[in-house]
Amino acid sequence: MPSYYNIDDVLMEDEPISVVFQVGANGVGLLDPGSETNNIEKGAKVDLPFWLAHELYLRQAVSTNVPACFSMKTRKEIQADASCVDLRFRCPYFYELGYKIAPLVGDKSIGAFLRYAFTSRYGEILSKSHSTAGTAPKFSARLTKEESQLFEAARSSMAAFKKWKIGGSRLEKASILGRKRKTTLPQPSIP
Amino acid sequence: MYGRRASQLLRELASCEAGQITSFNDDNLEQVIRECNEHNLQLQSLIRKIEDASLDIQTTRNEDHYGAVIHHLSLTRNKRCLMAYIFNRAEVIQSLRWKIGPVLPQEIKEKLNYLEEEFFKNHSAAVESYMSELDLDMTVDMVPPKDPYIRVKVLDDIGEVFLNDHTVNLTQHSLHFIKRTDAEPFISQGLMEEFLE
Repeated sequence: MPSYYNIDDVLMEDEPISVVFQVGANGVGLLDPGSETNNIEKGAKVDLPFWLAHELYLRQAVSTNVPACFSMKTRKEIQADASCVDLRFRCPYFYELGYKIAPLVGDKSIGAFLRYAFTSRYGEILSKSHSTAGTAPKFSARLTKEESQLFEAARSSMAAFKKWKIGGSRLEKASILGRKRKTTLPQPSIP
Repeated sequence: MYGRRASQLLRELASCEAGQITSFNDDNLEQVIRECNEHNLQLQSLIRKIEDASLDIQTTRNEDHYGAVIHHLSLTRNKRCLMAYIFNRAEVIQSLRWKIGPVLPQEIKEKLNYLEEEFFKNHSAAVESYMSELDLDMTVDMVPPKDPYIRVKVLDDIGEVFLNDHTVNLTQHSLHFIKRTDAEPFISQGLMEEFLE
């Protein structure tokens, strides 16, 4: 269970889910761009962020549809060549959303699909992260948030290993000061 | 859309690298708080409507109820976003004390809200009083040392500095062989670098 303050978890819950209202709701016309009044009618089809769709689903106020990123088309593409599919474009929180959406839409195949997608992409991520020096823009642009964290972790541990081989870590400047431009003004001397 | 602006705050925070900090977004924060007040007003008016129709507030499940639920959920969502924004920034600010030391450079100070500056000062004071109690500087030796002395190159004019029992003139481009613990704060501030042959 991610923490209340976890940024990625908060942003994941912002992903849009298409829902159909099973009840009417007053005073929230802003949610439905097609609505002419300030109300939402029963049967209206609206895109809601996950945090809202989830809670309304629990109150049986809406029924949810499977998001586009878990559609048949994406599944076919993943089956053809998993590591070539641009998952970030489809949904940067692909796995997390899939995990949370599965109980809501009653589609039992999502779990197996997520596992298939992850395991078949994992090998490529690992080998690319160890072999590329610096970043691999073309490849890492296709990764979801979780995958790029994995990629980064593998890359930096390989870099740390190589550094260790040539004599260990050194004292370094704090990374937050890294982008400081050189100033020509006389600096006050530090006592 | 509800909650959109609040998540923009977090998106901004997520887009910068780990350990870095963005400027405190006063405007956006204000707007989110205004949005919260608006939700609260709408929520109150919908509840009043239910009460005016003399329906039981606990069991009524009409259009007004669901409208009120959506406003309530939007409020808690906005709250979570704001809390996460403040909390995650506070964590970075805490880490600055260990990375840079008790004085923040101007370009970082500018990015902080005045309450955050206050927080940094208080955190720094707490760390210092703990260290003086222990009689140990915990911010040095972040990298395990191999030798108590280190060869350094000075990158910026630092001037006369009193180290241990004698003064050293740290002029730009000069090389020194000094105690590792003395050099460490200068290196982390970017004023010196370790000199390797």
